[in-house]
Amino acid sequence: MTVAPVLRPEFDAELRAGLAVVGGMFPPTITDDLIDFMRVSYASPPMDDVLRDRGIAREEHVAPGHLGDPIEVSVLRPPGQNGPRPAVVYAHSGGLMFGDRFSGIDLVLDWVDRMGAILVTVEYRLAPEFPDPYPREDMYAALEWTAAHADALDIRTDRLVVAGASAGGGLAAGMALAARDRGGPPLVGQVLDYPMLDDRGITTSMHQFDGVGVWDRVSNQTGWRALLGDACGSESVSPYAAPSRAENLHGLPPAFIDVGAAEVFRDEAIAYADALWKAGGDAELHVWSGAFHACDIFAPHTAVGQSMIKTRNTWLETILAD
Amino acid sequence: MQELLGRIARLDPSASLGLRVIACFDELVVGNVNTRALLSAAASLAGCVAGFHQDQPVRSLRVNPRGEVLRDTTAPVPPTATTAAGLSVWLERVGDALPNDAIILERLALAVRIRHGRSRTGFDHRRDLGRLVDMDTPVDERMAAAGALGLGATRLYRLVTAPLFVVWERHPRGPEDVVPTVHGPIHAVIVPAQPGDETLKASPAGIGVATQPQDLHHSFRTALVALRLCDPPRVPTVHADEYGGLIGLLADAPAASAQPDADRLAELEAHGWGAATIEAVIHSQSVRQAARLAGVHHSTMQTRIDTITTLLGFDPFDGFGKPRLGTAYLVWRLRRSRVLELPSPTKETRT
Repeated sequence: MTVAPVLRPEFDAELRAGLAVVGGMFPPTITDDLIDFMRVSYASPPMDDVLRDRGIAREEHVAPGHLGDPIEVSVLRPPGQNGPRPAVVYAHSGGLMFGDRFSGIDLVLDWVDRMGAILVTVEYRLAPEFPDPYPREDMYAALEWTAAHADALDIRTDRLVVAGASAGGGLAAGMALAARDRGGPPLVGQVLDYPMLDDRGITTSMHQFDGVGVWDRVSNQTGWRALLGDACGSESVSPYAAPSRAENLHGLPPAFIDVGAAEVFRDEAIAYADALWKAGGDAELHVWSGAFHACDIFAPHTAVGQSMIKTRNTWLETILAD
Repeated sequence: MQELLGRIARLDPSASLGLRVIACFDELVVGNVNTRALLSAAASLAGCVAGFHQDQPVRSLRVNPRGEVLRDTTAPVPPTATTAAGLSVWLERVGDALPNDAIILERLALAVRIRHGRSRTGFDHRRDLGRLVDMDTPVDERMAAAGALGLGATRLYRLVTAPLFVVWERHPRGPEDVVPTVHGPIHAVIVPAQPGDETLKASPAGIGVATQPQDLHHSFRTALVALRLCDPPRVPTVHADEYGGLIGLLADAPAASAQPDADRLAELEAHGWGAATIEAVIHSQSVRQAARLAGVHHSTMQTRIDTITTLLGFDPFDGFGKPRLGTAYLVWRLRRSRVLELPSPTKETRT
């Protein structure tokens, strides 16, 4: 009974170098006892200087979340906005347990100052204190609120997109499903960056990266269990929480999906794109060689990081820009 | 990455950001990335533009912290540039230099020279400590490295090894560096071998056997095995001395060597009592003593030992049984070692 080595694609050299720094604030394996640490380490830095330098205006709103509870929503506007603009409702990363509405936002700010979109970024409530359905229903409520207040917010309802990264990518896919099923706001696109789609953790890639990179199988289990508790992996999990479970993917907005070849979410992202195509949908899928999870957030200076950002922005630009 | 370095410093004020910069460039050199990638990393780490100029043929490159190549390459080489062998690199810092600027620029300059084939040592980018602990380095070069590190030729030292994200409660003084290994970059420190030395408290850390400088490569390998035997928080630190010559044999055994006893031992994983029982047996002279150590009834221990005996094919209390079991147990622990994969910050020191 010899221990077979785990076969896995290697990290890109520039990204491997980045991990020497990233690992200090985002350990590969996150267990329950690290949630408090991650809430400190992954908290976004103060944004005001960044926004001012880029000429982006910030408005704070309180919107009704799940069950009507108040949640915070930031509306970020492009410089010199005059008249209604396209908008993106954004769900941040952080494994459903940590992060805030400005986590990893730097990349998304390009959509505001370079494409002229309005970004609506949402402080959805976090597990385990607020388990399912709080996070997804907070997001959906924010989407409804955005559409309902489009006039006051100066937003074009004919160019509304949902987007998110990692846990937020799963929430964005869930919003698109819910909007379709509930007759919600019409969407023109969904951007799913390395999305967290499946609580079952059954793919090959989920088991290839234990203890390395960013966000491994154990971290993923920690996140899903925080959200779903004992229901995790059972038949009762809603497709709005774990979109991989959706049986019908017909009639969804065009999807942009990107994922690293060297990360746990590779196979579920590929499977989701494939399922969209099989349902007659429109999906653009990019699998980035040597990329660890969310490497464009942690190491945007690398060739891989830049390719990811540029490719995503190009896709969104075709949908959003005037 | 400058912002990430800032976060690390806030989370753990004792963290050495310089070592992370070194480890980052080590990986870039090992990965043989191009000048653009090296400048991108430097700019990202520093949070300002990094520049490069070569005299012949004339070529300039400037990259911003986002990794974007700037079009304007007409700026003259600033007086603060590090220049060697016709290659210059610099950081375009506005205002006073920041604490990490010097180490970033030093590592960038070295990496660029290696990429361009101009480094004095060719593709051997390793530094004194790395050369000293490499058995394949000729002994005169190792002794020269020891001299450069200020080590006395006949004094005894130990290597201490730790992952990059070790938590130091007490950091020993001595030459230190990041050394690339098959297990990834390892933080290595050379400390004088003094009995009862209490200057070190870290988790996880492996402490090698004491040797003179010319044999420190051996101390390094035993320290690596010791490190991999750590299992924090239960076992935060392991001294190679605890295992005498056994750890040296393990250090020098090829990774893929056949270890049938350890293979069979792995089947004990199915039993919840496996590791604790083996520990108790190894530290006991009799079944009765093992039962007491493990806190179980004598007959329970006897049943477990019968299971072990059947599985392994030998009685651990008979003849070479004990050293065989001990060796198999250490190999099994090394195979299962996660200590280098789990550089998790500890709750008590960081939240």
